Parts: sequence; C-alpha cells; structure tokens
Amino acid sequence: MMRAGRRLLSSLPALFGVLVFTFLLMRVLPGDPAVFFASGPNAGKEEIELIRKQMGLNKSVPEQLVYYLSDIGHGNLGRSMMTGQPVLKDLRERLPASLELTFTALLIALIAAVPLGVMAALRPGSVVDHGVRLFCALGVCVPTFVSGLLLIYVFYYLLGLAPDPTGRIDVFTSLPPQRTGFLSIDFLLAGDFEGWWAACKQLILPAVSMALFVIAPLARITRASMLVSLGSDFVRTARSVGLSWRKVVVTYALRNAILPVITIAGIVFSTMLGANVLVEKVFSWPGVASYALDALLSSDYAPVQGFVLLMASLFVLVNLVVDICYGIADPRVSIE
Amino acid sequence: MRFVSFRPATCMLATTALLLIATAPSQAQTRAETLRYVTGSAVNTLDPNIPGSTRESFALSMSTYDRLVAFGRKQLNGKWVFDLDTITGELAESYDVSPDGLKLTFRLRKDAKFQDGSPVTAEDVKWSLDRCVTAPILGKAQLLTGSLTSADQFKVIDPLTIEVTLPKPDKLALPNLATVYPMIINSKVAKEHATADDPWATAWLKEHTAGSGAYVVETFKPGEQVMLKRDEAWNRGSANKPAFFKRVIIQSVPEPATRANLVERGDADLVVDLQASDVQSLEAKGKLKVVSTPQYNAITYVSMNNQMPPFDNVNVRRAIAYALPYDDMFKAALFGRGSPLFGATWADGKPANGIYPFQQPVKLDLDKAREYLKAAGLPEGFSTTFSFNVGQAATAEPMAALVKESLGKIGIKVDIQKLPDAQMSTQINEKKLPFFTEGVVAWLPSTDYFYRNFYTGNQRWNYSSISNPDLAAIAQEARFEPDKAKYEDAGRKLNAMHFDLMPQIMLWQPNQDAVMASSVEGYTYEFHRQVDYRDVSRK
Repeated sequence: MMRAGRRLLSSLPALFGVLVFTFLLMRVLPGDPAVFFASGPNAGKEEIELIRKQMGLNKSVPEQLVYYLSDIGHGNLGRSMMTGQPVLKDLRERLPASLELTFTALLIALIAAVPLGVMAALRPGSVVDHGVRLFCALGVCVPTFVSGLLLIYVFYYLLGLAPDPTGRIDVFTSLPPQRTGFLSIDFLLAGDFEGWWAACKQLILPAVSMALFVIAPLARITRASMLVSLGSDFVRTARSVGLSWRKVVVTYALRNAILPVITIAGIVFSTMLGANVLVEKVFSWPGVASYALDALLSSDYAPVQGFVLLMASLFVLVNLVVDICYGIADPRVSIE
Repeated sequence: MRFVSFRPATCMLATTALLLIATAPSQAQTRAETLRYVTGSAVNTLDPNIPGSTRESFALSMSTYDRLVAFGRKQLNGKWVFDLDTITGELAESYDVSPDGLKLTFRLRKDAKFQDGSPVTAEDVKWSLDRCVTAPILGKAQLLTGSLTSADQFKVIDPLTIEVTLPKPDKLALPNLATVYPMIINSKVAKEHATADDPWATAWLKEHTAGSGAYVVETFKPGEQVMLKRDEAWNRGSANKPAFFKRVIIQSVPEPATRANLVERGDADLVVDLQASDVQSLEAKGKLKVVSTPQYNAITYVSMNNQMPPFDNVNVRRAIAYALPYDDMFKAALFGRGSPLFGATWADGKPANGIYPFQQPVKLDLDKAREYLKAAGLPEGFSTTFSFNVGQAATAEPMAALVKESLGKIGIKVDIQKLPDAQMSTQINEKKLPFFTEGVVAWLPSTDYFYRNFYTGNQRWNYSSISNPDLAAIAQEARFEPDKAKYEDAGRKLNAMHFDLMPQIMLWQPNQDAVMASSVEGYTYEFHRQVDYRDVSRK
C-alpha cells in the first residue's frame, strides 16, 4: 500500500509536465477557437471578442497558464464551448462509457487471445498455428471502423439481430439510478435484467470490433512466451514426472508465460482508451475519445487539456495495476 | 485434449451469438407518436443565444419557445419552404405596421400560456426583447440587421399590447422578430435565476427552458440527445391544436453511414444530413421519402482574396471564373443535388433580374481564361493554394482535385490545403487565404442583405475582401428603399457589378436532402436549415 502511494507521488512531476506541455501545445496550434465558435450568421468582431473574454484568451499566455493551474488546483478543468458544460462533468459522464467499452473489449480480447496463443504454441507450424496467424493478421489490418461498419452492416442492417448502433442504451429504455456509471453494473444493482440485457446488446458489437484489433498483439505475445516457457527445464521436468497435461500447460507453463501478456495488456488498455475514437464515432458511443477529437477539431482548449490529463492519470494508474498484477502472477516480483 | 483448449473460444462465440439473437422489446404503441430524429451535430445549449450554440440548438429552440411572429410557408417547385414574405402571428394574435413604417404594434393572444401555466404578458415580451438587444448574446448582432438596437424601442402599451418603434422604416425589422433569437421567455421565472453578474439569466437559461413553446424538454444530455414531450395546451400551430408528435427524440449519431442505416431500417424517422451518395442510393431504392430542397438562402463559393496578388487583378479572377470545370465539380461534389449558379445565358449581357444569388453567365472556356490571364500580364500562370476545411471534405475534396486539374491546364499551379475547421475560420477572419471554397447562409435572404453582409467591410463574412465604395453605397441605399421597382433596379445594378468585378465565384446552392420514413409528412425547409419539429406529422 505504502509502495503504491509512493509510486503515485513520484508520478506527479510527470503529470505536471504533461499538463503544461498540453497547455502550451494547444496555444501554439493554429486556429482561434473564438472565431470558430462565433459562427452564427451574424457573428462579428464583437462576438469574437466576447468569446475570447469568456475563454480567457484575451490574457497573455503565461497569465492564462497561472489561471489554468490554479483552476486545476481547485478541481476545475474549465468549461467546454462545444457542449457548454464544465469539462469535469463531461468527462465524469463520458469516462464510464469509455471504460466499460474498453474493459469489455479487453476481456473479450484476452478470452480469445490467450487460448489462441496457447493453441498456436502447443503445435507450432501446424494448421492451427497458421490459422491463428492468419486470423491475427486479418484483425490487425482491418481498421476498427471498417470492422465496426461491417459488423453493423451484417448484424444490424442485414440480419437485424443487433440493436441500432446509437450509443449505450436504446433510446426507449429508461436508465437505472447512477451508481458506478457502468450501465451493465448499474442495471444489475437496480435489479433490472431487461435493461441489463439491452445495455449488453448495445455493448457487444463495438466491443467485438475493438477486440478484433487487439487480439493480434495479445495472441502473438502469448504464443511467443508460451514457446519459451514450454521449452524450459521446469516444464520438461514436470512432464517427465507424469503430471497431467492440464497441470503442465496451465499451472506451470502458462503462469510463467503470462507476465509479458499482462504488460502488453496494460499497454493495450491505455492505447485502446484513447484510440477507440473511431469505434466511438461509428457506434455513436458517448465516450471520452470522440469528445476529445471533436474538441480538438474545433480548437476547444479546455476539453482537450482535460482529456490529456485524464489519460495521463489513467496511464499512471494502469501501470500501477499492472505492477500489482505482476506480484500476483510472479511472487518474486515486488514493486520497488 | 485439444478440445479442452477450445472451450473458452467456443463459449465466447456462443455467448456472442446468444446476445445478438435476442430482440429488443419494442414499444410499438408509442413509437408511431414519437419522432426520432438523428443528426451528426448535437444540441449544446437550450438557449440559442449563447455564443457557440449549434444549428441543432437553433432548431430545438423553435419548438421550445414561441416568438411574436413566425414565417409562413410556400411551395417552391412542389416542395414546402419557409416564406419570408408571409409573416403570421405566433404569440401575437395580430400586428399592425403604421403607414410610415416606423411603428409595429403587436396584440398578444389572450390564451397563450407559458409551460408553467402562467399567462404570456407584454411584460415578458419586453423583457425578452430587451434581453436580446442588451445582453452580450448572439441576438444582438442579428436584431441589428433589422434596426432593433435598444431597449427603448420596445414599449408596453397594456398587458396584451406591445409597440416597437424604429428609427427608419426597415423592411427586415418584422422578419427579424421571427428568427431564432428573439424568443419570448417567461420573465418571472428567468428573473428568479438572474444574478448580479448575470442579470439576463444566461447561465440558467442555457440549461433550462422557460418558454411557451410546443414542446417541453424532458431530458437534455448536451452533445448526445434531447427528449421532448408535447405541451398539450399549445395551440399556436396552424389549426389551433397541439403539435402532432407526442414525443420527439433528437439524437446525435456522428457517423453518416450509420444514420443512413438507421433511417433505412425504420429506426429513425427523419434525417437531413446524409452524404449525397447515401441519399442517392436511398432514393433509388424507393422505400423512403426523400425531399430535396435547394437551400435557397445558402450559397457555396470559390473565393479569391481581392486584396492579395495576383487575385487583386480583376482579369485573374475572370480567368479563374472561366477555367473552373463547373459541371464536373457539381457532379463530383454534390452528385448534381442542388441548383447551379453558373452557366446562365444573358441575351443582352445584362442580369435577368435583381435577385441575389443569381446564375452567372460563366462556363468552362479555357481559351477565354487564357486570354484573361494574358490581359492580366500572367500568360505563364502562377502558383497558389486552394483551401477548404475538414468539415466540408466530403464535398470539397473531389471539387478541389478538379479545380487543381483544370487550372493546371492554363498554367496555374494549385496546392490543395485541407485545414481543421477552427484554423480555416481563423485564417478567413484574418484574410490570409488567397483562394478557397466556403459557404454562407442568410436567414433573411434579400438582395441588399447579401451584398451588405458578404461583400462589404473588413469582416469575416466578406470572403473576397472586396472593398468597392460604389457597391457598398448601392447596397446600403437599397436597404431602406420602399419602392419595389427601384429596389429591383438596385439589385440589377449590384448583380451586373458582381459579374463585372467577379470578386468571388458563386458555384451552387446545395440541396437540403431530408430523408424520412414514408409515413412522415409536412416537412418544410426552414430558414435555419434544420427541421422544425412542429411542421411534421405522421399519417
């Protein structure tokens, strides 16, 4: 616990650096948000000045930075011009959507990738191995929005099995009281199984299209480290003393091979969270990534800065969790 | 053994299949009374006056608030469009314009109530109009175009009568009161939420409504969706009954292909922002109703900066005007869905009428273009950049490629520059782009309004940065010209000047392609270019 706390503390300077860097980067980028937002049919100089003042752009950059930092200190991330809401509120509402999607996708990816990798490693060079390789290659080379659109086309448009791809929940379903922000959990807590089912159905297509993309790195890394692990002395010993296949492969080989998979899974998770913007767009998923992209296109500073800060903090957290998972998978590793 | 290792994968497939097979519990009985409208944009404020509010917010406010007056509608080539010349009462039961045109008197409906049940009074009207011209909000610049600038102009005569005085007989004063911004707010409620810093309750009204409109906001998730419920007591529609749909759902669906799927599958009822290619294929299938209306208050231009060499030379601008492959551009960008503003024939070399926008007698004629280049002293051509913004990429990208190819034939080397939207508007505002494509829209499309706003002054909307005192003077004078024949004359003069000076090239007026379920009726093209939910019904 202490160690975890210390690690968090030591990441603060990095977070601060990210903060200042993003702030400056946004100011350096060409494009004046005030002009963009003053785009009513009659908006003139006066309106532009007004918005500039509202956004605090009439002050010098160092001054703006000081204000910004003090605002952050007070837990205020500013206001989005795009949605008209405080950024903190926007992010708080949208982050669970992104997290739920990413967790589900990662879960699906892991459930599919680890067995695939193990199977490939057990029979290297066989048809199974080549099949897995082909599947992985396909998953990687089809961009997520293509697989997303394809899944929509087949399961929604042609077969009519999936619900319409418009966000987290069917518009006609009433929402459960918000507890965790994860709809699938909130519905369960509220005891509303019909709603839970509706939420899950919405989740499955986007999660699968995201998972398809990340199965490849996970399966490949599982295969590689399983090969090493299967060829090692302790597995040979285990086999020679006649342990069951299950014990040899799962308990000894896989457990030793899982460390790099966890590392990759951590990295994949962080990347997915930020990079699932295409999936979010295609499925109208109200997540943080599409929010940040829209903000970036319209030079809406506050949401972009808020998003980057959020991502940096999450990255720190994910790394911490990965380290803790190491400890569980391999007791020799401790986080120092 | 291999079977064992297969199990998780099989399990996952089975669950996936199972999850997909179950069908949604439909609520068929209310579905017919619900309008589900999907859009690529989003509502970001409940008060359209807030700087930065989106077009969807404008459309929403038309249904949640009433105005004193409203535009009528007329048929244009068989399609319903808003009619600038017919102004009917909305909250006003009737109105009078004094013979000298300086006084507008509005008598309010006796039965009009706000959504909280309190009656709409002249006090509320005055407060709302005062807010529009006083508070730092978007309505100020709009009402300025109708000579409405100060709170002194609005006078309460009695609880049901309000008088508006004008410094000059301005034709646009009355139409301005029918636009999005001067909505009538429940002043008692709004004042309760006003603060010393914010006397006009702008912060509160951004998230709440206090109006008398046809629909009540049920839920509002900025950037995602809005749900509206019909106000049963509302009777400002044409036939003294409430709006047709009991519920309206306005939902953001960013991906255009998904929007097309939704409306084709019947899950969405109405969409107005599909890609031209999708509209064409949906129209060909014939299952849905497609209403294509030329956006007669919007224009797409190819603009040239008249202050920047070489475009400061009128012959260069003319050369460009004869070197654009209009027909190909029209097909590639819009699939021909719009009204062209090129290729006219002026028999006597004069404009056919005084209406702007008009079809110019320009077409692809490379020999003529070369002559003009020679006359400009640039027979070898020159290099320039052609810019467009990312948001317009679907139409502008193919167009830019054609421009580049065609201008290359007369020696003009074009680099295509694709700019993020905010960057593009900044550069236009700072007059830094030499050659680009952009569009404009005017809520109150009259000839003088177009020329005054888009061809004069050092301001953002003067894309071509033209500064011609004669043109500005004629347009300014026309604004207050009561005589129709003289106004028409001024219009002809301005149009002739436009063709002669060629400050920028009008390309076309793109269609608004409204795609809807075949049961949806009454769709009308409105001045704000979105759907007015009060117009539509289901058979």
